[in-house]
Amino acid sequence: MLPRLATLLAGLGLTGLAQAAATHYPLTLDNCGKPQTFAQAPQRAVTIGQAGTEMLYALGLGDKLAGTSLWFNNVLPEYQAQNDKVPRLADNEPSFEAVVGKRPHLVTVQFEWMVGAQGAVGTREQFDELNIPTYLLPSDCEGKDNLVGADGTRLQAFQVESIYKSVSQLAAIFDVPDRGTALNAELKGRLDSAKAQLAGKDLSTTSALFWFSSADLHIDPYVAGRQGVADFMLRTLGVRNVVESSEEWPTVGWETLAKANPTWLIIARMDRRRYPADDYRKKLAFLRSDPVTRNMDAVKHDRIIILDADAMQAGIRLFRGLQTLSAAFASGKAAQ
Amino acid sequence: MTVMTAVRVAPLSCQRLGLQLAGNTVLSGIELSVVAGETLGIVGPNGSGKSSLLKVLAGLRRPGSGSVQLLGEPLAQLPRRRVAQALALVEQQADTLDAISVFDAVALGRTPWLSALAPFSREDRAIVEQALADLDALHLRTRLWGSLSGGERQRVHIARALAQRPQVLLLDEPTNHLDIQHQLGLLQQVQALPVTTLVALHDLNQALTCDRIAVLDKGRLVALGKPLEVLTPERLLSTFGVHAHYLIDPFDGARILRFRAP
Amino acid sequence: MMMRLFPCIAVALAALLIALLAGTAIGESNLSPGVVGQVLANHLWQAGYPVDPIDAGIIWNYRLTRTLVAAACGAGLAICGVILQALLRNPLAEPYLLGLSAGASTGAVLVGLLGLGSVALSMSGGAFIGALAAFALVLVLARAAGPGSNNAQVILAGIAGSQLFNALTALLITKSATAEQARGILFWLLGNLSGVRWPSVWLAVPVALFGLVVCLWHRRVLDAFTFGADSAASLGIPVRRTRLLLISCAALVTAVMVSIVGAIGFVGLVIPHALRLLLGPGHSRLLPASALGGALFLVAADILSRSLIPGQVIPVGVVTALLGAPVFALILVSRRGRP
Repeated sequence: MLPRLATLLAGLGLTGLAQAAATHYPLTLDNCGKPQTFAQAPQRAVTIGQAGTEMLYALGLGDKLAGTSLWFNNVLPEYQAQNDKVPRLADNEPSFEAVVGKRPHLVTVQFEWMVGAQGAVGTREQFDELNIPTYLLPSDCEGKDNLVGADGTRLQAFQVESIYKSVSQLAAIFDVPDRGTALNAELKGRLDSAKAQLAGKDLSTTSALFWFSSADLHIDPYVAGRQGVADFMLRTLGVRNVVESSEEWPTVGWETLAKANPTWLIIARMDRRRYPADDYRKKLAFLRSDPVTRNMDAVKHDRIIILDADAMQAGIRLFRGLQTLSAAFASGKAAQ
Repeated sequence: MTVMTAVRVAPLSCQRLGLQLAGNTVLSGIELSVVAGETLGIVGPNGSGKSSLLKVLAGLRRPGSGSVQLLGEPLAQLPRRRVAQALALVEQQADTLDAISVFDAVALGRTPWLSALAPFSREDRAIVEQALADLDALHLRTRLWGSLSGGERQRVHIARALAQRPQVLLLDEPTNHLDIQHQLGLLQQVQALPVTTLVALHDLNQALTCDRIAVLDKGRLVALGKPLEVLTPERLLSTFGVHAHYLIDPFDGARILRFRAP
Repeated sequence: MMMRLFPCIAVALAALLIALLAGTAIGESNLSPGVVGQVLANHLWQAGYPVDPIDAGIIWNYRLTRTLVAAACGAGLAICGVILQALLRNPLAEPYLLGLSAGASTGAVLVGLLGLGSVALSMSGGAFIGALAAFALVLVLARAAGPGSNNAQVILAGIAGSQLFNALTALLITKSATAEQARGILFWLLGNLSGVRWPSVWLAVPVALFGLVVCLWHRRVLDAFTFGADSAASLGIPVRRTRLLLISCAALVTAVMVSIVGAIGFVGLVIPHALRLLLGPGHSRLLPASALGGALFLVAADILSRSLIPGQVIPVGVVTALLGAPVFALILVSRRGRP
């Protein structure tokens, strides 16, 4: 009863915060330190980053998409049919010309380093010169310095509010504020239900490790450090992250990780095949065959959760990921 | 090789020897047969091909035409190791940055005789010390290369060649860098060696002490024979471009050459 | 001479053994020497001590293998440095001069960026092929520069080849790599022993031993080059054949080592010089001493790379430079004034 009431009140609160009325144009909002102005709702948008893509689909804006890029996995099944009609500019980073060639009125960007000072696609100034507004998902720039460290360094821990902000702001830009509110309510609901599932469980001795991938199968892996999105998931659910580095995805040696012996291992599933370790089956095979890791508690008792790589990023899949993790932690068994 | 055949066969000979380098004719039509035990001087102006001739005779350069025989066998077909056991070449100005001791530098001369598994024996040691003694360099044996003077280095090079126990010794202008005392001493020592020796010289008076002289002019062998018969004033003018005449040394009656500018 | 040989060998082996034990005992996490001893005893003569399987795995499968490979690579790279310095008569000669590390980095980057990893080739395989490809190019260039195959030609060809492949690597990284990939590749390129397991040991150790044996067999040949190639020829060495054989052997050993651990610099250049300063230029002593020196040096560097900053591993190539430069300077200064 109480959790449901809390959810209702939170939803009302959010409704109060969000602009429930229609958007007033021209709309100017400050996005990662740069004001972006929209004269009207964009008719065509290009996305760089799956998180932004799926957020737009979830807001019912699929018909406005003129091109997508930077995918880790297949699109969520419910958007499959719609996505098939949208041109995919690149599986990874698109070229600047490919993006502007679609004459977009908006470019959404999941990672700042795509369009930052050494922009992999191009700089925000380049887009400005062509009068194309760029919208960076706040999760990747607020409280984060992307020029320090390999994936940027979080100056403060990731806040889930930045996702709600992305949703609200995108909804406002496209003049569908109600859908934004509704989506945020749904997402918050998932988060709350995930937490609720673990209410009353003693998780004081439970620890976990996120393994994203590795440059070479036996080499030190990229694991989730403190302050990042993955760590947020663990903190929200009350589970300790065995990695203490404050980098978002540091490399830590297997020796240290094995000694830390986390209760749960969470490994990333993705369709990208840049490294052999991208394939979650190869990760599993490594864990089970390596003479050190196969003795880890989590490997011996099969407490390995396979999670979409997108669920470890700041996007709408994060919340489903939370529910998956929560279900596993609650039952003590990893579902596939 | 019996002693009889060794005496009859010329230790080193070449026929119609020719060499081209970078489009230039360095040697052409050289015919030479060295007599066992002799000291053969090779003279000629700069660029006449003295060094190149020695290198070809030593097997370090392949001739463009003609052939060389070492101890009666064609040089081109002999394995390098056999060649090195019979013939040693002392080049001009071989140098190293390594801090090698004099003894070790001379001991390198034993290389052609030592296989990979053979240890450096007492006999090898004795040969090296003998070579050093022959060149009056025994007292230098523990010195390091970098501390030697030019003349000392030269003597070490020759000692190394002697340590090879060759039957033919080729020396390329060995008296360069030596002080006068060592120049004269070296030539005397070289003459006294029981080894057949070919020595390239630029000092013509020194060449007079050889058993025979070969004169090279622009890559051709223009004279071969006893020094006084070969180094005539006409020859000296045409090949070397200087006027010369012989004087008799009142001290011991030896002939010496005196030169005047043209 | 023989009298001095056996004690020397005994001391050398003892030093190596101590280094290997140290490398096995010291690492990212704290494992007591007692545990280390028990694990080794269990594996070597079935002593049957009860040990936590993770600890046992770390000691036997991670640390011991890493240390053995570090020793083998250090020895191999040092020996290759000795060969190249002797044959090319240049104090700056070192194993990577022939384009090997540049080619290896290009090969590794190609595999890493084109994502051929999911197919048969790992970064190691790519590195090996890249190294040999660069070496082949350098040989062709040296040949094309003139029939004499003198040292200057070989060195210049090596420089040209290295520059070419380094440029290719840079091009690939700037055009195609994400920050994540560039980081992964850089980590690999600076030299890194993290991915080493027993299969690498069965490759690295025999190759290092093979290199050492071939070189020892040719120790007098290498000595004969002291005064140059002509001098060596006049001492009975078939110069062209021997140079090709020994340089190819060095290239093979280097390519294998680089493909296993990345491009660890400094060892092949400085260890031979340091030991030459201490022991003189004779290769009968220089070769085994360099092998031992290289092995000890790289084991020490690996230990430091794991223990300098707690919880983090510094690339070994960085440590070898940071460690080796002052040590070498010390040796130079202490020998100053002596001829």
